[in-house]
Amino acid sequence: MDFHFAALIGAGLAAIGVIGGGIGVGYATGKTSEAIARQPEASGKIMGIFIMGIALAEATSIYGLVVALLLLFK
Amino acid sequence: MNQAVASLSIGERVSKAMLTRTVFTLHPFGLSVPISDTILTSWIVIAVIFLLGLVATRRLKEVPSKPQVLLEAFIGFINKTAEDNLGHHWREFAAFLGSIFTFLLIANLAPIVTPVGGFGFEPPFVIKPLTRDINITAAFAVIVIVVTIASSLRVKNPGGFLKSLVSPVPLMLPFNLLEYIIKPFSLAMRLFGNMLAAFILMQLIEAIVPVIIPPIFSLYFDLFDGLIQAVVFSFLSTIYIAEAIE
Repeated sequence: MDFHFAALIGAGLAAIGVIGGGIGVGYATGKTSEAIARQPEASGKIMGIFIMGIALAEATSIYGLVVALLLLFK
Repeated sequence: MNQAVASLSIGERVSKAMLTRTVFTLHPFGLSVPISDTILTSWIVIAVIFLLGLVATRRLKEVPSKPQVLLEAFIGFINKTAEDNLGHHWREFAAFLGSIFTFLLIANLAPIVTPVGGFGFEPPFVIKPLTRDINITAAFAVIVIVVTIASSLRVKNPGGFLKSLVSPVPLMLPFNLLEYIIKPFSLAMRLFGNMLAAFILMQLIEAIVPVIIPPIFSLYFDLFDGLIQAVVFSFLSTIYIAEAIE
């Protein structure tokens, strides 16, 4: 089997890791809207934590994407 | 067969648009320094920020005019974010964080002003998001981590910095050291990956449906994503610095 095809399959497998980031961001968003609905006056602080949280949750899926891109355009 | 040829051309188009190309090469002191299109765009962004700064702060009045209100709101937002997170040290870092935020904001939003081609019309210039080049984001991440370490050294003194490396227990030393590698790595990768993914998606959408659909998606992928990533990058930098000086 050609190495190129193996790299293509590997890139597809690496892209599966993106699922985790989606779950994480969705969960964080849901909890954030719950928190803001409960305490609207604290929305500024909650938004700060939320943005940091989604950035960290997103990082793992970005690593998956970068691995996929490295395999595609090596 | 036809389908295969078409899909190949889309893939080739995307990979061609994705990679940076060398515009020209400078030869200072006998070295050859290739200048890629992302560096050229970053120079343009720097010039735009410089001119905006000159024009916006030209005639500041006690009773602000409309542009001045906008400027004051922007600066106020940066100062308030810094003050909320950094406490009484905010004044030293607000300018640095504000500069990073302004640069990334304008750099991420710059592709919007690219004229649209099609129907045989070739746009005279194309601005691609310059943060799709990992060298740019890596440079920013390195600057941020150097400032983080330097601010820790300055605020806590070298003794306090060394002590923070072995806190809470000396066993944590390798993890604390590793943090200084992971932080810039994840900062650079996040910005690069997000902007590149948005850029590739926009290229794919434009290749498949060239009319009507792209502007709608562009609102999200170019405008919103660029804005959010600029905010996230500068916000995370703020938090890293706040962690280092507390």
